[in-house]
Amino acid sequence: MNRKSLAPYLMLMPVIILLIIFIYGLLNGIIQSFGILKAAGLDKFSLEYYKETFKNTSLLNSIKVSLIISGVSSIIAVILGVALSYLFCRTGFVNNRAYNIFKLPILIPHIVVAALVINLFSQSGLFARLCFLLGIIDSQQEFIPMVFDENFIGVILGYVWKEMPFIVLVVATIMSNIDGNLGEAAQNLGSTPYKAFLYVTLPLCLPSIAMVFIIIFTFSFGAYELPLLLGPTFPKALPVKAYIEYTHPELAHRPYAMVLNTIMIVVTSAFTIAYHFLMKMINRKTEVRAYD
Amino acid sequence: MIKGVLIKLVVFIAIVSIIIPLIIIAIWSIASSCPWPYLLPQNFSLRGIEEFFGGYSGAVNSMLTSVLIGIGTAFCAVSISIPAARAIKLYDFYGKNIVDFLLLLPVIVPVTSFAMGIHVFFIRAKLNDTIIGVIIAHTIVSLPYTVKIMSEVVSAIGNKYEVQAYVLGAGKMKALFKITIPLLMPGLVSAFSMAFIISMGQYFLTFLIGGGTVVTLPIRMFPYIQSGDRQIASMYGLMFILITLVVLLISDRFVRKYYSFSTTYFFS
Repeated sequence: MNRKSLAPYLMLMPVIILLIIFIYGLLNGIIQSFGILKAAGLDKFSLEYYKETFKNTSLLNSIKVSLIISGVSSIIAVILGVALSYLFCRTGFVNNRAYNIFKLPILIPHIVVAALVINLFSQSGLFARLCFLLGIIDSQQEFIPMVFDENFIGVILGYVWKEMPFIVLVVATIMSNIDGNLGEAAQNLGSTPYKAFLYVTLPLCLPSIAMVFIIIFTFSFGAYELPLLLGPTFPKALPVKAYIEYTHPELAHRPYAMVLNTIMIVVTSAFTIAYHFLMKMINRKTEVRAYD
Repeated sequence: MIKGVLIKLVVFIAIVSIIIPLIIIAIWSIASSCPWPYLLPQNFSLRGIEEFFGGYSGAVNSMLTSVLIGIGTAFCAVSISIPAARAIKLYDFYGKNIVDFLLLLPVIVPVTSFAMGIHVFFIRAKLNDTIIGVIIAHTIVSLPYTVKIMSEVVSAIGNKYEVQAYVLGAGKMKALFKITIPLLMPGLVSAFSMAFIISMGQYFLTFLIGGGTVVTLPIRMFPYIQSGDRQIASMYGLMFILITLVVLLISDRFVRKYYSFSTTYFFS
């Protein structure tokens, strides 16, 4: 193919322009985090804002809380999702019409998920009532607070509910392909179904599982809606805190918001690089298989 | 034997845990009171429906705005993704790797950080508080998905049919509309649906770029969920789900009517 042709660049032009706007937005935030904001009369590079952020315990708490929320919810979602994918492949449920139900949570936005969590898990929600009727608790107040609580249980439940089906949809498809070809081959060679899954199918699925993990981890790390609607007033999740700092009446305060944004951008960019290499790895594997 | 029953039970629980919250939201949307500790509402009312469809709340307008922005976003994202996907899959060029990498960024780097960083730029470009501005912002965040889906379809069909059309004497335009686009149709529909879903669900980006002037359904719904008005919040949630499903079903049917292919996948 002609490597010097201009055609592909022209075809990519609109997409590249939009991506440049995206990157410009990120860079803009990063530059402001170093104290360069002409509109507020700031034009000197300084690390002052970073120093102060890392001294401030409430900001540090926000970072910690966000890492915990997205870490815990993503790990639970991945474990449940992979286990269910395995069961769905085994029982042939992937070909059942009812399997489409797992597509529903994908089209439900986080703000509706918040409403679902409040309906189910608040102290006047369905679960509290159920516990009361079963005699587990004696009054509404005895039900462990799951919404607006400091442990972010409601937020985590919301993320798990939304993300677990996403993992199933991605992983079950890949798993049933591999299990159907190579897993079956392993069984023909004398392996038990369980061993074939553990030593053949699962390892081959791992890069894809890592990829979905990255997507849901970084998403929940930077998402604003659920921690705002279901989280406590203190500590606040990183994106919520960043927006509060952003709306500070004094423009000169904005670099603090951008420090928090930069932290989110740096953490997630590192994950993007990891994702990129995982994708290359998977593509190479499938190419090798195609040439066999 | 026991193992088989156990597996069935787990699958059943998984389905139930997805469905139950949705059933509850439907029940709550028409419940007026449900005193502690009753499981089911004791009184029903149509206050939610009145609130939603009564002109004063503006909910219907928000719904139309949401759908308009969703369709606009999907249209923009898909139409620029087709040439992009073809460039990525059918051409070899310098910087392909970089484009691949950059296309991942909007999926993984938080929209929240992007929105705050780009806000001032949109204000200066006079795009803030406009529907066009919101559509541009939504298109950026849905691009990675639409390009990915289109790339998969393009690499599956290649360009041999198109070349065949040229050989048989078709012009560029004829080959595009008679051969290429019909072949891309299944992918086109799923890319369109994906972008539509992403746009419909955006809250923070719309909130900042729309600046309170562009009131989509999530923006209209937010205060009700925050204040804990369950009936209204549930009604909005329910309507949101129904509208999204209706638009997806219509696009699915529309395409099935003109093109026969067995599977439309709205997400892959």
